[in-house]
Amino acid sequence: MNPREEKVKIITEEFIENDEDANVGKRKKNSKVQRQLRKKQPPTTGPDKMVSEESHPGNQQEPAQDEPQTRLLSVTARRGPCSLPPIPSASRTGFAEFSMRERMREKLQAARSKAESALLQEIPTPRPRRLRSPPVKELETEFGTESGKEVGSTQQEDDFQSYSRVKFHVSARKIKSKPQVPPGFPSAEEAYNFFTFTFDPEPEEAGEKLKHQDGTDQEEEEGEEEPPAQEGANRMDEEELLHGKDAEDFLLGLDHTADEFLAVRRADYESAHVRLQREKEMLFIPSRLTVPTYKKLPENVQPRFLEDEGLYIGERPEVARTNQNIMENRLLMQEPVRWFGDDGRILALPNPIKPFPSRPPVLTQEQSIKAELETLYKKAVNYVHRSQHMIGSGDPSGNFQLDIDISGLIFTHHPCFSREHVLAAKLAQLYDQYLARHQRNKAKFLTDKLQALRNAVQTGLNPEKPHQSLDMIQKTINEYKSEIRQTRKLRDAEQERDRTLLKTIIKVWKEMKSLREFQRFTNTPLKLVLRKEKVDQKADEEAYEAEIQAEISELLEEHTEEYEQKMEEYRTSYQQWKAWKKAQRAKKKKKKQATEEHPEEETEEPYAEEDPVKPTPPEPTDRAVIEQQVRERAARSRRRPGEPTLLPELSLAGSVTPNDQCPRAEVWRREDVKRRSVHLKVLFNNKQVCRTASRQLGTDFRVHFGQIFNLQIFNWPESLTLQIYETVGHSSSILLAEVFLPIPETTVVTGRAPIEEVEFSSNQHATLDHEGVGSGVPFSFEADGSNQLILMTSGKVSHSVAWAIGENGIPLIPPLSQQNIGFRSALKRADAISSIGTSGVTDMKKLAKWAAESKLDPNDPNNAPLMQLISVATSGESYVPDFFRLEQLQQEFNFVSEEELNRSKRFRLLHLRSQHVPEFRNYKQIPVYDREIMEKVFQDYEKRLQDRNVIETKDHIDTHRAVVAKYLQQVRESVINRFLIAKQHFLLADLVVEEEVPNISILGLNLFKLAEQKRPLRPRRKGRKKVTAQNLSDGDIKLLVNIIRAYDLPVRKPTASKSQQPSRSSRTFREKHAASPDTRSPTHSADYPLGQVLVRPFVEVSFQRTICHTTTAEGPNPSWNEELELPFRAPNGDYSTASLQSVKDVVFINIFDEVLYDVLEDDRERGNGIHTRIERHWLGCVKIPFSTIYFQARIDGTFKIDTPPVLLGYSKEQNMIIERDFDSVRSLSEGSYITLFITIEPQLVPGESVREKFDSQEDEKLLQATEKFQAECALKFPKRQCLTTVIDISGKTVFITRYLKPLNPPQELLNVYPNNPQATAELVARYVSLIPFLPDTVSFAGLCDLWSTSDQFLDLLAGDEEEHAVLLCNYFLFLGKKAWLVMGNAIPEGPTAYVVTWEKSHYLIWNPCSGHFYGQFDTFCPLKNVGCLIGPDNIWFNIQQYDSPLRINFDITKPKLWKSFFSRSLPYPGLSSVQPEELIYQHTDKAVAAELQDSRIEKILKEKIMDWRPRHLTRWNRYCTSTLRHFLPLLESSQGEDVEDDHRAELLKQLGDYRFSGFPLHMPYSEMKPLIDAVYSTGVHNIDVPNVEFALAVYIHPYPKNVLSVWIYVASLIRNR
Amino acid sequence: MAAGGPSVFLLMVNGQVESAQFPEFDNLYCKYCFVYGQDWAPTAGLEEGISQITSKSRDACQALVWNFPIDITFKSTNPFGWPQIVLSVYGPDVFGNDVVRGYGAVHVPFSPGRHKRTIPMFVPESTSKLQKFTSWFMGRRPEYTDPKVVAQGEGREVVPHRASPSVRTSHSMAAGLPAEHVKGPSPV
Repeated sequence: MNPREEKVKIITEEFIENDEDANVGKRKKNSKVQRQLRKKQPPTTGPDKMVSEESHPGNQQEPAQDEPQTRLLSVTARRGPCSLPPIPSASRTGFAEFSMRERMREKLQAARSKAESALLQEIPTPRPRRLRSPPVKELETEFGTESGKEVGSTQQEDDFQSYSRVKFHVSARKIKSKPQVPPGFPSAEEAYNFFTFTFDPEPEEAGEKLKHQDGTDQEEEEGEEEPPAQEGANRMDEEELLHGKDAEDFLLGLDHTADEFLAVRRADYESAHVRLQREKEMLFIPSRLTVPTYKKLPENVQPRFLEDEGLYIGERPEVARTNQNIMENRLLMQEPVRWFGDDGRILALPNPIKPFPSRPPVLTQEQSIKAELETLYKKAVNYVHRSQHMIGSGDPSGNFQLDIDISGLIFTHHPCFSREHVLAAKLAQLYDQYLARHQRNKAKFLTDKLQALRNAVQTGLNPEKPHQSLDMIQKTINEYKSEIRQTRKLRDAEQERDRTLLKTIIKVWKEMKSLREFQRFTNTPLKLVLRKEKVDQKADEEAYEAEIQAEISELLEEHTEEYEQKMEEYRTSYQQWKAWKKAQRAKKKKKKQATEEHPEEETEEPYAEEDPVKPTPPEPTDRAVIEQQVRERAARSRRRPGEPTLLPELSLAGSVTPNDQCPRAEVWRREDVKRRSVHLKVLFNNKQVCRTASRQLGTDFRVHFGQIFNLQIFNWPESLTLQIYETVGHSSSILLAEVFLPIPETTVVTGRAPIEEVEFSSNQHATLDHEGVGSGVPFSFEADGSNQLILMTSGKVSHSVAWAIGENGIPLIPPLSQQNIGFRSALKRADAISSIGTSGVTDMKKLAKWAAESKLDPNDPNNAPLMQLISVATSGESYVPDFFRLEQLQQEFNFVSEEELNRSKRFRLLHLRSQHVPEFRNYKQIPVYDREIMEKVFQDYEKRLQDRNVIETKDHIDTHRAVVAKYLQQVRESVINRFLIAKQHFLLADLVVEEEVPNISILGLNLFKLAEQKRPLRPRRKGRKKVTAQNLSDGDIKLLVNIIRAYDLPVRKPTASKSQQPSRSSRTFREKHAASPDTRSPTHSADYPLGQVLVRPFVEVSFQRTICHTTTAEGPNPSWNEELELPFRAPNGDYSTASLQSVKDVVFINIFDEVLYDVLEDDRERGNGIHTRIERHWLGCVKIPFSTIYFQARIDGTFKIDTPPVLLGYSKEQNMIIERDFDSVRSLSEGSYITLFITIEPQLVPGESVREKFDSQEDEKLLQATEKFQAECALKFPKRQCLTTVIDISGKTVFITRYLKPLNPPQELLNVYPNNPQATAELVARYVSLIPFLPDTVSFAGLCDLWSTSDQFLDLLAGDEEEHAVLLCNYFLFLGKKAWLVMGNAIPEGPTAYVVTWEKSHYLIWNPCSGHFYGQFDTFCPLKNVGCLIGPDNIWFNIQQYDSPLRINFDITKPKLWKSFFSRSLPYPGLSSVQPEELIYQHTDKAVAAELQDSRIEKILKEKIMDWRPRHLTRWNRYCTSTLRHFLPLLESSQGEDVEDDHRAELLKQLGDYRFSGFPLHMPYSEMKPLIDAVYSTGVHNIDVPNVEFALAVYIHPYPKNVLSVWIYVASLIRNR
Repeated sequence: MAAGGPSVFLLMVNGQVESAQFPEFDNLYCKYCFVYGQDWAPTAGLEEGISQITSKSRDACQALVWNFPIDITFKSTNPFGWPQIVLSVYGPDVFGNDVVRGYGAVHVPFSPGRHKRTIPMFVPESTSKLQKFTSWFMGRRPEYTDPKVVAQGEGREVVPHRASPSVRTSHSMAAGLPAEHVKGPSPV
C-alpha cells in the first residue's frame, strides 16, 4: 500500500473510532508499522524507542543495521532511502479522503455547539495519551524509511550525503506549496476549529496531512515522471526536519498551519522608538560611568578612607573599572547603602588569590584519574603537630593546659534596649565611673598634698634651720611653690570632674525618671539614691573661706612675682629703647650732614635698623580681681560651703513593671529579648576549640555562663579569641563580635587570675519594630526627634585566662625557651627576610628601599615584622653595615679558621677527591688524622701541577717532543673536561633492565623459539651478557687470551762455530725426532745439533705486569690451544667507562724459544741426575692495546708476529720450504703468524660515542645530505662503516673529503729512489709508519674521534690510524697514484682506516701504521671488511654483497657496487680542503739525534736492564756492542731486510767464542717508556747464566720533521767453553 | 689507638629484617646488601644476604615475617658515605616467575641503640603500556641493573623520567629492617 494512503486510512479510522486503543490494536497488526511509530516519537523518547525496537523479536531488520541506528540515536535510521513502494491506487485515496472529510464535518458540527467559546481560547493542553498521537502522521514517512531499509541498505551511505540536498529541496517546495489551499478543503475557520478541539489529533498532524495532500496533488499533477521513491524520500526528509531539529521545528510547523487558517494580517509594526520607550520602562541598563561617591554613601556622610587612617585594608581583587562601575550602578538601583563601604567603594574582601599555586602538581600521565582515586593504605599515625609551633616535641610533659573561665557577658548596648535601658546603661556606666573615681579619690589626695606642701613652705620660711644656706632655702621654697601651683591646678581639675560626673549622674537619673513617668512603666530595676551627708555649716564655711584665702594669697604672691619679673623686663627694654632713641637722634643729625655729601646713602638708612617699640609698663595685679577669679572657680568646681555632700548610690531595688501593665510595643520588646540567646566560641590559634552553652538573654541584658574551659594545648598559643554569637529564635546565629584575649603571662596560674572584663562592640545594624531602639540606627529621647543618638551593640565579657596547675602543683606552662621559638617561628612564617633579620646583619637600607619601591602596605599585619625591622634599622639607632651576609651564622660555625682548614691535609685530600682529581678519584679510606697522611700522597699531584708549566725534558729527550706532549696533555684535559659532564648522564638502560619493546621480528622469533627444542643436540652459541662498567670492582674483570697456534716460527741454527753443514738426511732425521721430542731432546747438549729440536716455543702474555705463559710446544708450527687468564685492574680502581677507555696498557704476546742447556759438569754423574738450565730466547711479539680489546669485545684471528729482522741464532727454514711444497703460501707470507683469541670476561659495554651535536661550518644542506646518506647506508648495511663527517681538533664537524688533498712528502725521501716509484711509495709508507701511534680513544676518553689535519699531525707527531692513513693517502696522491682512504674493520685494530692504491693492474692495501702493504688477494691482509672508500672529491659506500677485500671489486665507477655520495643529483660543490697548501719539513738536527741515541736512550736502557737484574751482575760486552752499533745503520738503510746472513757471518767472525742470542728492535720514537717496555718484554734480562754478558746498541735515524726511527740491538752472549 | 695501623672507627650493626607488608603478594623473599662510601670497609660479617621465602601470616595484618638476621661490622675513617642498607624483595608472579616486588634503602641508624625502621618500597615501572603487558606476560619486569642504585642519587633522574610516571609506592611498603643494634662510632 502506498504509505500516503495508509496514513490517511489510519487517520480516518482514528477519527471514526476516536479510540487510540483501537488504533494501537490496528497498528499491532503490522508490527513493522508499530515499530516505526515508536521510532518516530519525538527525540526525547529516544531511549524508549531504542528499547522497544530491540525488544521486538520478530524484527525484520538485520542486527547489523540496528547497530548503527542505535548508535546514532535513530538519526541514521530515519535517513533511510526510499524505494519503490507499491503503486498507489488513486481512486482509493480519493475515497478515503472524501469519507474522512465527511466525518470530520459531522464531528465538527457536534462539537462546536458544545465547547466553541472555551476551546477557542484554550490552548490545547497535551494529555498523556496525546503523546502517542503524533506518530500517526509519521506513519507514512516511516514506511519510506522502512522500505528504504529493506531494499537498499547499501544505499544508506549515499543517501546520507544526499540527505541534506533533498531536505533543502523539500523545504523549498513546502514554502511554495503552503499558500495553496486546494479545492474541496474545509475553510480556514472550519479547519481551525477542527484542529483546536481537544479530542482531535494535534493540529500539526492535520497540517502534515494537508501538506502531504498537497504533495500528492502536485505529484499527481506532475504525473508519473517523478518516481514515487523520490517522493517517499521527501516525505521522510520532511519528517526528519521535524525530528532532527527538535520540538521547536515542530511548533513552527504548527504555526505554519495556524497561519494557514487564520486571517492574514499585516504584521504589527512597532516602531523602534516605541520599543525603546517600552524597554526603558522595563529594562535597566547600568551605565558605565563612574558613580559619584555621594550616591553610594548615606546622606551627609563624608567618605572615610580607612587606609589613610592607618588601618590595614587588604588588597582588593582586580576588577576592570568599567565592570566595577556597572556593578555599582546596578547595586545602586537595588539597595544602595548596604553594598558600599565607608570609602564609597563596594565592600570587598581582600584578594584571596595567592600568587603561587598551593595545589600539588597533578601527575599528567595516562593513569590520571584511576591512579588518583586509588586507595592507599596508610597506617594510622599519631597526630603530627603542625610545623614548628609545637611545644616540647615528643616530650611526655608536653601537655600544657590553659584554663579559660568565661563567667558572663553584659551588654552595654543591645538592639533590644528600650530607651530606658539606654539610659540605665548610661547611668550604670557613669556610676561605675563614679565609683572608680571615688575609690581613687584623687581630689582628696591632691588636697592633702597641697596642704602638706603649704605646711612645708611655712616651715621652710622659718629661720629655724640655720645650717642651710639661705640660697638653698630659697630654692627649695621656690620649688615647693611651683609644685603647689601644679598640684592646685590638678586638684581643681579633679574636683571639677568629680562634680560634673555627679551632676551628669543626677541628670541622667532625672531623665530616666521622667522617661519612666512618661512611658508609665519601668523596664529596669535601677534606682539611684542620693545620700546627703550633713556637714557642719560653720566649720565648712570656715574651711572653705580659709582655702580661698590661702589660694588668693598664693596667687597674689605669684602675680607679684610675675609682676616684678615683668617690670624688670620692662625696665631693661625701656633702657634699650631709650638708648636706641638717642642713637637715632644722633644719627639724624649725622644724616643731615651726610645727605649733603652723600645724598644717595640716605635711602639705605631706614632699612638698616628697626625701631624697637616703646615698651609698656606692666600692670600691677589687683587683689580684688584675683579673688573674684578664685571664687568663681571654687563655686564651679567645689561644693558650696554648707551644702551637704551628695553620695549617689545605685541599686537594683526598683521593680520592673510586669508585662500585663506594659503597652504592646514594650511587651513585644520583652518577648523579643526572651527569644534571644547568646553563646560564645573560643578560638585558639584561629581554630574553634570550644563553645559555651547557649544562654538566654536576661531582661537586664546580662548573660551568665560561668563555664571554665580547660584547653590542652600542643601548639604555642598565638591568639585567643572569643566570638560572640547571638541567636534569635530558631534562626541561625549571627556573629556579633570578636574579642581578642591576651595570652596570660606565665606567672598567671589558675586561682590567681583575676576576672577581667573585655569590651566588645559590633557594627551590626538592627532596626526593630518594637520598643527596642535597635543598634546602629539613630534614635532620640526627645519627642521632636532632635538630638539623635546612634548606639552600636556593645558589651563586656568577663573572663579569666590562666595556666592550669598540674596534679603535683606544677603549672602546665610551656617552658620559656619555647616561647621564644614560638615567637621566632611566627616571625619566620610571616616573612623569610625577618627570620634572617634582627640577629643577623642585613642590608637594611636596601631592604627599606625595596619596601618603599614595592609599596609594601605598612598596615598589613603580614608585613608587621618587616616594617618594624625596617623602622628600627632606618631610624639609625642600630648600626647598619653596608654589606649583606647570606649565612650570618657562618662565623659561629667556623670551628677553625680558613687558613687552618686549608692547611689540613685531610681536608685537602677530601676536597681533591670530591673534585675528581684523577690521582685521588678513587682514594679509599682517607685517614682520620692529619698526621697519618703521608706527604708523598700529594707529591705526584703537585708534581703534575708543576709540570703543567715547566717543560720537562727528562722523559722527552728533545724539547720539541716535550712541547708536543704538553700540548697533547692540555688538549686531552680540555676535551675530557668537556665530555665529563655529558658522560654523567645516565640512560634508563644503564639503570633498569627491561625487556625491549617487542616488534614483529622479535615476537616471531620468540614464537619460533617456542617450537624449538629445549635442549638441542647442537647447542648454538649465545651472546654473553654485557655488563655496564659502573658496578665493577677489582678482580671482576679478566682478560682471556686463547693462544691457539703459530705458524712458521724461526728455528734454531746450529752454532755456527761448528759450521756443520746440515745435510738432507740429517734434516729428515731431525724431523723424525721432532715428532717425539720429549724422549730425547733435553739430553742433547748444544754440541749435538743433530739431536736437537728445531725450536721449542712457548708464549708468554704479559699485561699490566702480570705474566702468564703457556706450556712449551715443539717445532716451528706449534699448537698450544691454551687459555690464559689475566686479571685486569683499572687505573685507580675506577671502572667507569671513561676510565676504561683511557687505559693505555698493552697486551704483549711474546713468543720465546725454550732452550735447555746441560750444565752437568761431570759426565760421570750423568746417569744419576739431570742438570739443565733453561734459557729462553725471544722470537717475536704481538702487541695489542687494551683499548682495542675493550672496543672490539673480542679479537680473533691470525696475526703476524712482529719478529726482529735479524734473530741471531735463528733462521727461517728456507731450505725446507721446497721440500714441503709450501711455495704458494710461503711466498705470500714472509714472517711468522700466530692465531689468537682474546676477550674480556665479563663483556664490558663499550661507552657510546658522545651524544652531542657539534657545531659546524659546513653548509646546512650538505649536513642534511650526509645524515640522509648515512641513514640510507645504515639501513642497508648496518654493520659497514660509513663516514661522511668527522670532528676536527677544535670540535667542529667537517666533511671528510676536505682532509684529502695531495701533499708533498719530504723531498729527501723522494730523492732516494728517483726512478722507482714503488720503492718511493714504500719509503713514504715507512716514513708515515714511523710517526708514533696514539689512539684517539686514549687521548680523548670522550669517545669522539678527532681528526687532525696532516700538518697538525706532523706537528703533534702522534695520531691514530685516521691521521696516518690521511697522510699516507695524501702522499700517494702527490706521487700521482690513485689512492683512496678505506674505512673498514681490520684485525686487531677494529674499525680503522687503510689506504688503497691502484697500481696499474692491481690494488694494494696499505696499513698506514705499520707501513706494510698487501695485495688485494692477500689472505693475511689484516683488513677484513671494507665499508666505504673516500677520495678527495667523493665518498663511495660499499653496497656489494660481501665486504671482504678478497671478494669485492674496488672499481668505484660501478654504481651498482659503490654508492657515491656526490652524484648527478647532488654534484660535488668543490669543497675546499682543510689541509695546508704544502707541508714544510724541517731537517732534524742530527746532533740532537746522536745525543739522544748515545747518552740518553742507551744509557737509560742499560740502567734499566741492570735494574731488572737485581740479583745478578750485569756485564756489558763492549766489543760486541760496538759491533752491533755498526750493524744498525745498515739495518735502517735496508729497512731490516736481507741482511741477516751477512750479519751473522760478520758477528761470527768477530765473536767466535760466544753463544749468541739477540735481535734488533725497531720502533718509531715517541717517548722513553715504550722503548723500555719493548726491551723489557723481550726478556733479555732474564738470562741468569753466571757468565752471561750483554750487548746493547741504539741507533736513531732522523727523518725530517723530527720523525725518528729507533733501532735497539740487544744481545746476550755466553762464552762457549 | 692501635699501634701502627691507621685510626679508624668501627660501626657494628646487628639486627634483622623483620617483616614486610605487601598486601598484594605472597611467598616473598628478600635480599639485603650494603652501600657505603669510599672511606668505609666491612671488616666482619656478611655484606649481603638472601632470606628464606616466607608466606603471609594468617592474621589480619598479613605480615610477611622473615626475621632475617643482619650482622656486619664496618670500619671507616669518615662519616661521609655512612652505610645504607638496600633491600630488594622478590617473589613469584602469577606464572611462577621470580620478579622483583620492591626496592628500598635506608641509612643505618646514626645513634647507638635499638631502632626500628620502616622502608617504603618501590619498583621501576615499564616504559610503555605494551612493555608493561609483555613484561607481565613474560615475567620479566623491569629491574635495576644493580639494586644498589636505589641508594645512590646518580642517574636516578632517568628512572622517573623514562620509566614510571612516578616511582610508585603503591606496591606499598615493606616494613622491614627493624631492630638494629648499632654500636656507635668509637675510635679504636
